Amino acid sequence: MRNSIIFQLNQQVYQLSGEQVFMTVADFLRYQAGLTGTKIVCAEGDCGACSILVARFNKGKLTHHRVINSCITFMYLLDGHHIITVEGLKESDELHPVQAAMVNTHGAQCGYCTPGFICALAGVADKAKREKKKLTPVKVKNALTGNLCRCTGYDSIIKAGCKTDLKMTKPLKNKYDTKELVKLLEKNSKKSVEIRYKNKVIFLPTTLAEAVKIKNEHSDLRIISGATDLGVLSNKGKTQLIKLMSLHLIEELYQMKNMKNTILIGAKNSLDEVEKITQKDFPEFSKLLHIFASPQIKNNGTLVGNALNASPIADTIPFLKVSQAQIVLQSVLGERTLNMNDFYLAGYKQLDIKPNEIVTKIILPKTKKSFKLYKISARRDLDISAVTMAVSYQLEKKTISNFAIAFGGVAASVIRLPEIEKMLEGKTFTSSLFKQVAETVSTQLKPLSDVRGSDVYRQLVCKNLVLKFCDEVHAEEGWKRNEVLV
Amino acid sequence: MSVGVDTKHDSAVAHVTGESIFIDDRPALRGELFVGIVGAPIASGTLLGVDTNQALKHPDCVAVYTAKDLAHKKWGPVMHDQPILVEKEIGHMGEPVALIASKRRESVEAIIKLVKVKTKSTPAIFTIQEAKQKGSILYKAQTPFVQGNFDKAFQNAPLKIRGTFSCGGQEHFYMESQAAVAYPLENGQIEVHSSSQHPSETQRVVAEALGLRLNQVVCIVKRMGGGFGGKESQAAPIAAYAGLVAAKQNRAARCILTKDQDMKMTGKRHPFENEYEVGFDHDGKILALKVMLQSDGGAYLDLSASILERAMFHMDGIYYLENVHIDGVCYKTNNHSNTAFRGFGGPQGTMTMECIMEEIAQVLKKDAAQIRKVNLYQNDKVRTPYGQLVENNMLPAIYQQLIKSSDYKKRLKEITQFNKKRTGIVRGISITGTKFGIAFTARFLNQGNALVNLHLDGTVQVSTGATEMGQGVNTKIQQVVAYDLGLNLNQVQVMPTSTEKNHNTSPTAASSGADINCAAALEASQKIKARLTALAKEIFAGKNPSALEEFQVGEGMLDEKIVFKDGKITDVKTKKSLALLDVIKTAYFNRISMGAYAFFKTKNLGFDKATVQGRAFNYYTQGMAVSEVSIDEYTGEVKVLRSDILMDLGRPLNPGIDRGQVIGAFVQAQGWVTTENLYYDKERHLVSHSPTTYKIPNVQDIPRILKVDFIENNDVKNNVFGSKAVGEPPFLLGSSVWTAVKHALSFRAGEKLVEITSPATSEVVLRELIKLKS
Repeated sequence: MRNSIIFQLNQQVYQLSGEQVFMTVADFLRYQAGLTGTKIVCAEGDCGACSILVARFNKGKLTHHRVINSCITFMYLLDGHHIITVEGLKESDELHPVQAAMVNTHGAQCGYCTPGFICALAGVADKAKREKKKLTPVKVKNALTGNLCRCTGYDSIIKAGCKTDLKMTKPLKNKYDTKELVKLLEKNSKKSVEIRYKNKVIFLPTTLAEAVKIKNEHSDLRIISGATDLGVLSNKGKTQLIKLMSLHLIEELYQMKNMKNTILIGAKNSLDEVEKITQKDFPEFSKLLHIFASPQIKNNGTLVGNALNASPIADTIPFLKVSQAQIVLQSVLGERTLNMNDFYLAGYKQLDIKPNEIVTKIILPKTKKSFKLYKISARRDLDISAVTMAVSYQLEKKTISNFAIAFGGVAASVIRLPEIEKMLEGKTFTSSLFKQVAETVSTQLKPLSDVRGSDVYRQLVCKNLVLKFCDEVHAEEGWKRNEVLV
Repeated sequence: MSVGVDTKHDSAVAHVTGESIFIDDRPALRGELFVGIVGAPIASGTLLGVDTNQALKHPDCVAVYTAKDLAHKKWGPVMHDQPILVEKEIGHMGEPVALIASKRRESVEAIIKLVKVKTKSTPAIFTIQEAKQKGSILYKAQTPFVQGNFDKAFQNAPLKIRGTFSCGGQEHFYMESQAAVAYPLENGQIEVHSSSQHPSETQRVVAEALGLRLNQVVCIVKRMGGGFGGKESQAAPIAAYAGLVAAKQNRAARCILTKDQDMKMTGKRHPFENEYEVGFDHDGKILALKVMLQSDGGAYLDLSASILERAMFHMDGIYYLENVHIDGVCYKTNNHSNTAFRGFGGPQGTMTMECIMEEIAQVLKKDAAQIRKVNLYQNDKVRTPYGQLVENNMLPAIYQQLIKSSDYKKRLKEITQFNKKRTGIVRGISITGTKFGIAFTARFLNQGNALVNLHLDGTVQVSTGATEMGQGVNTKIQQVVAYDLGLNLNQVQVMPTSTEKNHNTSPTAASSGADINCAAALEASQKIKARLTALAKEIFAGKNPSALEEFQVGEGMLDEKIVFKDGKITDVKTKKSLALLDVIKTAYFNRISMGAYAFFKTKNLGFDKATVQGRAFNYYTQGMAVSEVSIDEYTGEVKVLRSDILMDLGRPLNPGIDRGQVIGAFVQAQGWVTTENLYYDKERHLVSHSPTTYKIPNVQDIPRILKVDFIENNDVKNNVFGSKAVGEPPFLLGSSVWTAVKHALSFRAGEKLVEITSPATSEVVLRELIKLKS
């Protein structure tokens, strides 16, 4: 057992215990380490000013550096990591190529968001260099979805990304000597961590067996994954993080597998990894994950975390429901596997999970069914949805089978519409049929009004999404029609 | 040559390496206190008391202060009507009521929650319509802008539209929230570092709040993490909060707002509801126009009067109005006190005009660009509704060049063809313009001063009243002085703005920061140059004073034959040359001053509000934009496919920086007219108080294709180096996105008129589509 966390910040190795372990990374950097280049603006992972680059040690090797939001990440989650901040990118007196490019294109105006953009750009440049690819405007934009700038209108920043001299870009992995960190970790990596400060405690077990045991002993323990939601709630005073366990030192929970009939996704696999592994078998889901959130969030957030959050606007749940995904729970008593549709109970955030259980993976069964997923929000990227809709279906010529439909953002939980599903089974796919479905949907759903849209708007959108689905299927199947339904 | 070229921002390297210091990046001093603000829990009512008992029991709480601790209780940039801390009447939700001082940053929020504010609610007013009904007025325009005879012309007009243009407010969303840190000095002095566009106002409010004389307060502004008008007036009370705690506790104190607190508490762009009646002929020529501009000023006056006036000044947009009547009123509501925001009312006026243009085109079923062309300021039709002439009018040339370069006509045809087919997508295209008056409409603000010190190593420090918020004003000052003295850019350092170096500074606002402060810095620099010129001439003439004498040059005089370039002073006639460094040394040993202070005021300004006549502006910055959008007819989602922008900036001081200003302003305006939606609950809590719920444009939202160009104009006589101001004018071009949405919707409107409000959120668009189709 050890009672400290170990990490390296730019060139310096740290071993921390006590209060600092429980700080957000941004607070630690700014107010403890004196690295004020990292900025805190929104403190909810939505603006990217706090972006930093982190790499995890995995069996003595450093993973690639990925960009994350330091304002909603806690220090204990970076045990075993190497951190690079904006201050750490310069090469003695030479600017990093992305820094040089930003200077030359006027990519910085007021300068407050700039360090975050620099880190995000350094991350994508590192990746492009590694994969021997060019930095195109599309790539650069995708890498910067999680960074807000109010001054530039982004044009000069996109140019900076595209004009980055990749020849001069050195791999981030080789930038710092990490021997001392590796040595320290080798000595300590098998040891689980338990750190207490005042009333707070964090457990970082290194095996699943141990994690399950701890969970069994502490039923009030919360599991913290990427902290992309808990970090926000904690910062905004909406929850207190007292007794926590992170599973990030358990290697087997990172084991994502693409098998013959299923895709297995481990509890610690990030949404970014899930986006990639589902590209071929679940392209619609992969596409949804593309606009799901920023790179910073997707690098830290996990599919299991999103599923367990159980919010009615959690974007993955409608898909997990209509795809008949399964969830695997582990306790000291053994393993349970549940269909997602049974895992979610009626009511706000109600789940079939026992206090001593830990979710270890999600299983996506491969299928011949087709999927269509829709996410509607005020802004296309990096926004919480007003409405989501997921449909799965099979067509034999024009005959419908296995139709499933789920909506998010219209009730206390993500809901399926079993009556409609039953009614459509075996029916012929026609516009008039789906017009009728659309009407039924808009009368059955009773959404609320809030900041993301009024009840009326949500109803209209749900109805129109059904019509859109019908039109898209017509187009894809090459069924000729004069006009779309809207 | 350092003027007119694309030099890098003077802070660029520090920005990209994270070395730039913003307020909260300053290390805390020993014993420094963290100030938290307790806000009112109601929007309208009376403060009955503040219970501090629980808060004071918190181990980190040092003190709680209320209005009774202030020497002077109210502030305001024009009228002192706004409480620094509420004494009795509560004007809006979250209004500052008390301050807490905490030993630790981490405890600020917890202590704020322990302060109990007791209040009694009274009925509140939240909308312009409610205020109108109840006659709740903050300010009414003194005299309407009248030209020609509206009544007669309207009566005779063959076609008429009556309508209302409504636009929402806008959060500044500067990345650095309001911030200040105050250090107590000897003799009761206070040094306050503030994220402020207006150091002198901040100095004044701090002094008044603390009961100090102005010479006891220094306000220093190194830079802001964005301002956009939000730190013109509103930075001052935040500095006063830090100052009060620092003075009372005799310890350093900082007040740093979180983004949520800032968004909930501070004022925003004014929402407007502008009612218009327009008469026009079959060519779309406007024969008569009457507009009543109505703004929501919020709880206090702040800058609302000037903002309403600027909206009236920009109601004409880029169009000549023969018979016109423009009036305005600003209503008092129980909203946060609305304030300056890039454009300062101009966008709300001009966009009303562009809305009218689009509607005329829809009524006539004609190309809106044609309607605009007919009405454009052109030839001798350049008299504005307030009597000032549009001199050096570039609008016809801009229109012609942009219609061509954007391929407008061909694209309009394609779009019209595309929209005939129902695909679930409908597209629209629109051209709009800006003719932004440059100068503070309050004449006295058009003044500035500068201090230039030339050191013995040939380097310069320049101090002016301009504040740097990213717009590059310091870089422009650096360029101008370096050019004048023939130095490299890195030999000129622009210093933090400080009220001990520059007095009575005007806010860095009204796009005029560079105009005024570059001119003042140039004048100061030229004073030094004049002395060195005289000295160089003496040396060139072979004069060599004896040990008992010294060179006598007095104030000297500039001479175009004596050129300062590349570190040398050269007589172009004789080709004789001296190293600048040698002349500097000689000047020092001969007791010639190499420091200079200069004062600048913009000439030929003066506008009489009573008669509505005079020169309100020094000149106009003009430009136009064409935007194309597509709308998803299922969901109402809007995408901006392409925008082409053409601006007249005279001879830009720094084309790279100016390009950044143009695009930044445009995209900011795009946000205002599309996704930026201020959403309040019934009690008037702002619900959209963070980027999770308040959506400014992100990198994926900007136009898929974005082209920016400057039209050549070498005829600008009345501004520094023939340049034009750039900060606000392109903001008004964001309207083209909104009018393009209106244009797109017109394809589904049949005989109906498209009536949408701004911002055109997905919801607004979808509901209008449903309405039009039903």
